[in-house]
Amino acid sequence: MTTNKRETPLIDQLEKGPWPSFVKELKKSADNPMTNDLLGVLERSYNDRIGHWKHGGLVGVMGYGGGVIGRYCDLPEEFPNVAHFHTMRINHPAGWFYTSDVLRKICDIWEKHGSGITNMHGSTGDIIFLGCVTDELEPTFSDLTEAGFDLGGSGSDMRTPSCCCGMARCEWACYDTMGFTYDITQHWQDELHRPAFPYKYKFKASGCPNDCVASIARADMSIIGTWRDDIQQDDAAVAEYVTSGAVDIVEDVVGRCPTQCMSWDGEKLTINNRDCVRCMHCINVMPKALAPGKDRGATILLGAKAPIIGGALLSSVLIPFYEMEPPYEDLKELVEEIWDFWGEHGKNRERVGEFIQRIGLGNFLEQIGLEPTPEMVVHPRTNPYIFFELDEDEDEEEED
Amino acid sequence: MSALASNRKTDIGPPHYEQFLPPIIKKNYGKWKYHENPRPGVLVHVAESGDKLYTVRAATPRLASTKTIRLFADLADEFCGGHLRYTSRNNVEFLLTDETKIDALIEKLAAAGYPVGGTGASITNIVHTQGWIHCHSAASDASGVVKAVMDELYPHFVNMDLPAKVRIAFACCLNMCGAVHCSDIAILAVHRRAPKIDHQAMARVCEIPTTVSSCPTGAIRPATVDGHQSVEVIEEQCMFCANCYTVCPAMTLNDAEYDGISIWVGGKVSQARSEPKFSKLAIPYIPNNPPRWPEVVEAIKNIVEVYAANARKYERMGEWIDRIGWPRFFEVADIEFTKYHIDDFTHAGETFRRSVHFPRIG
Amino acid sequence: MSDEDLINEVANAMYEMVKEYHGKKNFKAMDLTKAMKQKYGEDKVNKALCKKAIRQLIDSGRCTYSYVGGSYITLPAGS
Repeated sequence: MTTNKRETPLIDQLEKGPWPSFVKELKKSADNPMTNDLLGVLERSYNDRIGHWKHGGLVGVMGYGGGVIGRYCDLPEEFPNVAHFHTMRINHPAGWFYTSDVLRKICDIWEKHGSGITNMHGSTGDIIFLGCVTDELEPTFSDLTEAGFDLGGSGSDMRTPSCCCGMARCEWACYDTMGFTYDITQHWQDELHRPAFPYKYKFKASGCPNDCVASIARADMSIIGTWRDDIQQDDAAVAEYVTSGAVDIVEDVVGRCPTQCMSWDGEKLTINNRDCVRCMHCINVMPKALAPGKDRGATILLGAKAPIIGGALLSSVLIPFYEMEPPYEDLKELVEEIWDFWGEHGKNRERVGEFIQRIGLGNFLEQIGLEPTPEMVVHPRTNPYIFFELDEDEDEEEED
Repeated sequence: MSALASNRKTDIGPPHYEQFLPPIIKKNYGKWKYHENPRPGVLVHVAESGDKLYTVRAATPRLASTKTIRLFADLADEFCGGHLRYTSRNNVEFLLTDETKIDALIEKLAAAGYPVGGTGASITNIVHTQGWIHCHSAASDASGVVKAVMDELYPHFVNMDLPAKVRIAFACCLNMCGAVHCSDIAILAVHRRAPKIDHQAMARVCEIPTTVSSCPTGAIRPATVDGHQSVEVIEEQCMFCANCYTVCPAMTLNDAEYDGISIWVGGKVSQARSEPKFSKLAIPYIPNNPPRWPEVVEAIKNIVEVYAANARKYERMGEWIDRIGWPRFFEVADIEFTKYHIDDFTHAGETFRRSVHFPRIG
Repeated sequence: MSDEDLINEVANAMYEMVKEYHGKKNFKAMDLTKAMKQKYGEDKVNKALCKKAIRQLIDSGRCTYSYVGGSYITLPAGS
């Protein structure tokens, strides 16, 4: 098929400037007729100030309900090569580590079957193949599985879990984020590919409270590394930061501690670890001198989401400390309890965080078999409208 | 009776990450001691064994041609045994063991148009959504706004010259793929007109009860229009969330004239010092002005520069604003405060000031 | 009745349900599961069995997943 090169005077202006240009990226692959038409549609949108895509439909690979996002152009006659322009989500290797060989393999597959345009990576963490026609979905999938890759999640399923680089390249990793992420991804392949939930369910694993994958803001279940003993402290290294002038220890470290749990007497830094909330600030400032404790694990939080529908939520504490030892049996059992209860009573498009808002955290804990603890709330309730349960007193009387 | 070929592979999951790790990482996995950030875009991680791993971080435009991925693969072969990774913010990282190769790698990346930076107290890559390149509900383009903004903020990517890191994110509608709502600066495209209903298509492509119940404000009711089973929208009750459009393609909110961009500030996800926070509304609406959105670029540049000039070291945008108070933020940033800044949805009451703790007037 | 026969029977019943309501109401996996538990009784048909039946229904090509703001189980395109 011969296609005339699309004229794109508006978006051409985005080739200029010091920041890497996505228009240049599109043009690198413009010998592909799909990408050439994509340039045309985009130019059209810049002219019209409106998008030209439609969503929905029945597209996917056989047997899976997730991993392919149906997309169609609303100007198919004008841009026939992007009349179908579906997205494929390919489950990335944990931590986004690659070798040059495997990247070339991925490129080979995508140049053979699609537009040659990718996202490295999508917001879900997946490798994104942008622009596949319906008939090429199954052949692309077949080549992908042959190369050892599989699709990620989409729709009302477990979404592709993602994580920070953890122990691979970070001294602050309080658990093996990549090991955990790989483990649960394999464990719940069925939940990832065959949507059976009221709505999406995301896992994001961060190795420490710096939360480099933004799990507290985006994951239905946020797994954030933490510790429960004392911060490891190397006094000689602290002194070096101070004497070299690299750090103003009073202003930058002691003065910025949120619980004022540390003091500097001119020679020695003293940390009252009992009052420390493990925020990471002092460790971030002096990574050579301070480190998370040795008794490490994670805090498990539940319920983050963006605004749709009832407003945005951050995750809230579910398990204050969990040891994160593989194969993570207790955690997996708990997750299945949550899925069962939410699956049974959640409404369509109701994320687990909204579901908890609706039914109450106390009731939710009771149903999934967790005891309430004060770490779960900022403070106890202030309103006296308590739903006392009638049979509770009677039970106690019987026991007496 | 299975229609699936028996040799068809499914449910294999992603490849195990270990096969892609460089030898130095395999050897020192979980045994890193500390790291330093000797210059913008370069990190050195030191293991308990004394081994040193050098990371060179370069920006990519997220939307990448396979030709660029091949270029990165070639550079990885040339400089670091074929090993690289990507970050959660669309940067590529080359993993070197030979310190002497860093300068040459940075030079080659720069020559190819991929600048090195984005570490420490800088502005790193903007995480963003698809926009007009691929999304049905986009109220603006994503890649174009990001490109225009980063062209302007580029000096803050290649230098570590800010009080603390500034995380910027872009979402092309309220669905916020990638959850931008906890960013130092969130750029959020918004619709501002009620859905336009295709009454003819409605009954064919949408389930009317589901569409009606999708509306969080109850603004949609069933109706027969020109003989078609359809719905009607009480426009005064519509807050343009587009949840109806997600469940019913016959109700588009896209509007060439009235769609545009809002700007939110002061969010963070890190737990360092203060708790994670949502971004809060700074500017309710700036019209779309492609291809370079100069008004949006100007507004963001202003917020960054005001922050850089006034915040204390280590203070994130939201921490700075919490210290000086929102009235002073609007004053020093010279941004108008309007009724749109006051929340009127689910958690609205929590945001009213119920004390007299605010900066003095005048 | 063997487990396999029961799975087939439940899959058939699910298929009839999807077919009957085609174009009128979309069902999610959980809707089908709830309906089957009610039809056969929870002691006979549980969530795990329904999961197998749904997989059978999809893998056989009789039904397919669709997405309209949520993932549904419907008849394939052109039905």
